[in-house]
Amino acid sequence: MKGRREVLPFLILAVAIVCLLVLPLFSSAEITYRNGYDVLETFAEYGLLALALGLSMIAGEYDLSTASMYGLAGMVAVLTGGGSPVLGVLVALAVGLTGGLIQGTIIARLRMSSVPVTLGGFIVNLGITDVLSHSKDVSYERISVALKLDASIGGVFSLYSLIAIGGFLLIASLMRFTRLGTDIRAIGGDRGASRTAGVKVNLVLLTVFALSGIGAAAAGSLHAYSVSSALPNLGFAPLIFATIAALLGGVRLAGGRGSVLGIGAGVLSLAILQEILTTLSAPEYVANLVTGGLLLIVTIFAAPDIASWWRRQQARRRPAVEAQGPTAQAQG
Amino acid sequence: MTVADADRAAPPAAAEVASARTLASHQAKLLLAALGAAVAIVLIGAFTTHGFLTVANLKAILFSASFVGIAAVSATLVMISGNLFSLSLGTTISISAIAFLAALHLGLFVAIVLALLLGVAIFAIQGLVVGAWNTNSIIVTIAAGSIQLGLATKLTAGAEVTPSGNSAAYKTLGEPLLGLPFSFYVLVGLTLLLGFVLHRTSFGRLLYLMGENRAAARAAGMRIKWITAGAFALAGLAAATTGILLGAFNDTATLAAGGTYTYEAIAAALVGGNAIQGGSGSVWRAFFGAFFIAAITNLLLLRGYSTGVQELAQGIAVAIAVVLMRLFSRSSR
Repeated sequence: MKGRREVLPFLILAVAIVCLLVLPLFSSAEITYRNGYDVLETFAEYGLLALALGLSMIAGEYDLSTASMYGLAGMVAVLTGGGSPVLGVLVALAVGLTGGLIQGTIIARLRMSSVPVTLGGFIVNLGITDVLSHSKDVSYERISVALKLDASIGGVFSLYSLIAIGGFLLIASLMRFTRLGTDIRAIGGDRGASRTAGVKVNLVLLTVFALSGIGAAAAGSLHAYSVSSALPNLGFAPLIFATIAALLGGVRLAGGRGSVLGIGAGVLSLAILQEILTTLSAPEYVANLVTGGLLLIVTIFAAPDIASWWRRQQARRRPAVEAQGPTAQAQG
Repeated sequence: MTVADADRAAPPAAAEVASARTLASHQAKLLLAALGAAVAIVLIGAFTTHGFLTVANLKAILFSASFVGIAAVSATLVMISGNLFSLSLGTTISISAIAFLAALHLGLFVAIVLALLLGVAIFAIQGLVVGAWNTNSIIVTIAAGSIQLGLATKLTAGAEVTPSGNSAAYKTLGEPLLGLPFSFYVLVGLTLLLGFVLHRTSFGRLLYLMGENRAAARAAGMRIKWITAGAFALAGLAAATTGILLGAFNDTATLAAGGTYTYEAIAAALVGGNAIQGGSGSVWRAFFGAFFIAAITNLLLLRGYSTGVQELAQGIAVAIAVVLMRLFSRSSR
């Protein structure tokens, strides 16, 4: 049962890849290395954001503020990175870390639900972005940074996507080789029990929100560099992408379950779906409908009542089998 | 265990209770102080900001508070039902405004009814999805927003919608009545109506019970699916009302028209003192919260601050309100 759940994200990814590859059979589209490059660019665009949001979801929280931290970090990086792009990213990461620590402290110390707190953070971030940009698009003068970031490496990769992949591997090894992974899942599964068992719940929560702030800031600042501009309001599109990716990646909304590599597979699956829509040159409203519909479907499947209904069905089947067992033995 | 042991064990417990009590009164004082501070900010701002205390400006505040207030009534209903808030409220407001203006050629009354029905339907479907399976309401409303945007973009081709038909009767909805904005009467009427529904009907009682403890309500055999859908339908009614008034006042509507209302409504509902976790609160709190938000926004506007600063103030107000409500609910427990 557990195994099936963990394999599912990769199964979905495999189906997505097959769908992309058979596309030429049903349309005039051609599939080349270029499509692989596009998919990885989308992975780079939203991957670390999905990872940031996914980590908070595994811990049983939902960090709404990542959506506007993504935009704020992009704005900060563009405004402060005029002299050195690295400095711009570092300032953006510091902003992300600060936002995450403030929210994490409030949530951990006051034992509050993360949604109302991060809604406050979400609106505050939007406000700061608006103030910094005077509500206008800001372009990044150093176009060479975008060229370097997006230049193809080995046909399908780029510096942009390699950084995102590096981020995933870093967090994955952090989750695997330190206590962090176990602790995050523990506080997501049963917070009271993990507190009794000696998990430093507040410290883990603070770490999760710090990481989610940093992840959203990293994704946002690199995205702004890659398109050489920052917008005052990106809307919910990044959050929608990240949420679907995390849910497809096997993260349980109620917390306690999910893995970094699963989230990665979820991001790739959704990136491939987007690539299919682009290749078929579907209009924007179709993309809106597809992502909205998909989000609705995966959320319904992730609903606790659906899960308990499924468990009841399983339980109803199981006693029937067990009841037959002894009789069969007795006969033998 | 001897009597002496028991005696020795007792004092710490008593001390704990006492310290919890002082803590409680301390936190209640904190809440009062915050309320006082909020009133003080508005008053000091009012007397030091040129042009705030004029009849024209107070009418302007009343006007914007009416729009925010009706939207906040919508947000409050979702909150009471225990489903936090809708993140596509603004989108539904825009779509109702568009539907209202597009249907005007069928007559004013028909256009109003159609727009209201659309708003009710959009929200009720989300309520059904949330109520039937305990689906995460934040994500359902975001997804529903994306679907609404997609469909509306397809139908309007993303263009601005202007009133259809020749009658200008709709303009009365945007004009003042007896010196006060028409929308203000609508806000008062809607608040009275929903206040009655929430506090005087069995549906209202069930809604509060369900919002407070969904599991218990379910165990008691309450029809969670339909109660949630009902609460969302009423929220949709309020959202569509905002949209109709907005469309009538602006003479035009776009998909971006209701953009800022999502957060302003949630901010007003929370600042008015509604608890985010459901099961308590009232539409009257949203009513007063809307006036606070409108006054603060107006102050910042008069002092020449940008929309960004206004947004920032709303965000901080939300954060302070939820933290204070949390401290308060802890102390009163």
